[in-house]
Amino acid sequence: MAEVQLVDVEKRYGSFLAVPKQSLTIEEGEFLVLLGPSGCGKTTTMRMIAGLEDITAGDLMIAGERANDKPPKDRDIAMVFQNYGLYPHMTVAENIGYPLKLRGMDRKTREARVQETAEKVELQALLKRRPSELSGGQRQRVALARAIVRTPKIFLMDEPLSNLDAKLRVTMRAELKHLHHELGVTTVYVTHDQMEAMTLASRVAIMREGRIVQLDTPKKIYSEPADLFVAGFIGSPSMNLVEGRITGGRFEAPGVSLPVAGADRGDVVLGIRPEDLQLTDPGAAPISGKLYALELTGDSTLVTLRNGRTSVCTRGPADFEAPIDAPCTLAPKPGARIHLFDKQTGQRLDA
Amino acid sequence: MQDRSLSYLLLVPAFLIVLATTLYPLAYSLVTAFREWDLTKQRRPGDFVGVDNFGYAFSEPGFQNSLWVTSVFVITSVILTLVIAMSLALLLRRKGRMHTFTRVILILPFAISPALIGVSYRFMFNPEFGVIAKGLGAVFPALDGVPWLASPDLAMAILVLTDVWHWAPYMTFMCLGGLASVPRETEEAARIDGASNLRIIFGIVLPQMKGVLLVVAVLKTIFALKMFDQVVTLTGGGPGTSTETLAFFIFNVGFKWYDMGYASALAWILTAIMMLISVWYVRMLLSERKMATA
Repeated sequence: MAEVQLVDVEKRYGSFLAVPKQSLTIEEGEFLVLLGPSGCGKTTTMRMIAGLEDITAGDLMIAGERANDKPPKDRDIAMVFQNYGLYPHMTVAENIGYPLKLRGMDRKTREARVQETAEKVELQALLKRRPSELSGGQRQRVALARAIVRTPKIFLMDEPLSNLDAKLRVTMRAELKHLHHELGVTTVYVTHDQMEAMTLASRVAIMREGRIVQLDTPKKIYSEPADLFVAGFIGSPSMNLVEGRITGGRFEAPGVSLPVAGADRGDVVLGIRPEDLQLTDPGAAPISGKLYALELTGDSTLVTLRNGRTSVCTRGPADFEAPIDAPCTLAPKPGARIHLFDKQTGQRLDA
Repeated sequence: MQDRSLSYLLLVPAFLIVLATTLYPLAYSLVTAFREWDLTKQRRPGDFVGVDNFGYAFSEPGFQNSLWVTSVFVITSVILTLVIAMSLALLLRRKGRMHTFTRVILILPFAISPALIGVSYRFMFNPEFGVIAKGLGAVFPALDGVPWLASPDLAMAILVLTDVWHWAPYMTFMCLGGLASVPRETEEAARIDGASNLRIIFGIVLPQMKGVLLVVAVLKTIFALKMFDQVVTLTGGGPGTSTETLAFFIFNVGFKWYDMGYASALAWILTAIMMLISVWYVRMLLSERKMATA
C-alpha cells in the first residue's frame, strides 16, 4: 500500500500536449477512478504512473519517493490491461506465476502462491489451460490473479472490464470491489463508463482534454457537478440541461418557469436530474410541453417532453401511458436539487 | 456449352504449358534416373540399370563431399540468416522516419541477382585489388594478402556471407510482419511484472513468433539446399571441391561429365531431402495450429 502523488506532471509527444500540467494525490488504500471520454488523457496518466510512458515534466511520487526514473519493475505496481495482456504461450498457472518467477521465488513457494491466488479468483480448475482456451471473463480473472499474486503496492487497471459483455461486467465489477475491500491496495482505475466509476470509486477524477475537471467522491460528483461537462457525463439518463435566464428570482425558458436562488442574469443553464422530477397535474406546473417519447425500461418509463428547444426527461411509473404530442407537465420533487451553470464558461454557479 | 466443361476447356492452355515445361521434364528425369545415359555417346536414355545410379551415389566420394559441403552451408547460413534477420527486425520495428528509410534501403541486397552477387564479392575479396580484402588489410595488417577465396574454409565462409547478405533483408521483413502480430500489451505486462529487456525478447516475444520463425527457417533451408548461382560465379566450387554444393555437383555431373542418368538420380535425391523437410514443416505447423486453437 502506498500513496501516489503527481506533482505538476505533464506529458508531451513532440509538440503535442497530451496531458497538461496537473497535480493529483491518490491516497493510501484508495480506489481512484480516472473517468472521461476516449482521448482525454486518462490512460496516458495511468501509463505514466506505471512507467510505460516517460514523464515530460513534473514529479511522480510513489510512497514518498520520486519514481520518474524508476523502471516499471522497481515501482512495485501491477497492471491489468484492457486486452488482458496474457502470455499466450504459457498456461494459466505459468501466467500467474510469472511475476514471482522473475523475482526469483523458488518453485514450491511459487506454486503455493499461485494456488492460493487462483482460489481467490476461482481459477483452480483452469490452471493447466492456455489463455486461448478461456472465455473473456476467465481471461480477465487470470490477468487479475497475475496482478494480485505478488501483493504490489499499487494496482493499475486500464479499462479492465470493457471487453466483457454487459452481464459479466456487472459481476466482475462486484468482484473487483470485493477484492479491493479484501486487499486494501491503492488502486487507480481507468474507465469511460460512468456507472463503473460511480460504483467502484472512493473518489473519481473526471478528465477532459487532459485536465482533471473534478476530483471528488462519487456522491459529491453526482450531487454537485463542477461544470456542464461533468453534469452531462454523470448519471443515466443524463441530467436535463435547459438554457434560459434568471429574472426576478425565477428561471425562465420555453415551457419552464422555476423559482431559483440567484441574481438576475442571462445565459444560464439550469440542470435538473430526471429522478428529481415527477409527472404532475396540468395547471400551474413549472415545466410543460408536449410528450416527445416514452421509453419503457422495465421498472419505470422514461418520459421525454419538448417545448421549443427545451427537452426534459423524467422517470414515470412503468404503467404510464399517453399518446405522443399530448400535453404533459412536470414539477420538481420535494427536496429536488436544481443546478445552475454559466452558459459561457460551463462553470457551476453557486447560490 | 455447360459452364463446367467451359471452365475445363479454358484451363487447357495453361495445363499444356505446365505439362510441357514442368511435368514432362520431371517425368523424363525420373525415367532417366533409372537408366544409363552418357550424353557423349547416346542421344536418348540407354539401358535400364535399376537403382544402380542411386547406389553409385552413396559409394562415390564426389557426392559424399557435396552432401557434406551442402550440410555445412545450409546449417551455417540458415542459423546466421535467422539470427541476423530477427535482430534487425527487433531493431527496426519502431516507427520513425529513420526506421522507415532503413527498411526501404534494406531490400536492396535482395533485389540483386545472386549470380551478380557472386561476381561482385569475387572482385571485392581479390587479394590484389579487392575493396574488402584491401580494406581489411589496411585496418588489420595481419590480414593483408590473405588469399581469401583460395582457402577452403575462408571460401566457404565467404560463400555463406554472400548468401546471408542476400537473404537476411527478405527474412527481416518476414520477421517484422511476425513482430507486428505480437500484442504490445504482453510486452508491457512483462515489463511491469519485472522482466528485463532480454528476458522479454526471449521469454515473451520469440515464443509468440514460433510460427513465423518456423516458416522463415524452412524457406531458408530449402533455398540454401538449392545453392548454385554464387558457387558458379564466386568460387567455382573450389578451391578443390571445398564449396561444391549438391546443386553445383549435379550440374557438373550432367553438363560437364555428360552422365545424365547419374545426374537425374542425384537430382531426385535432392528433391527427396527437400520433400522430407517440407513434410516435417507442415506437420510442425499443423501441431502448432492445433495448440493455438485447441
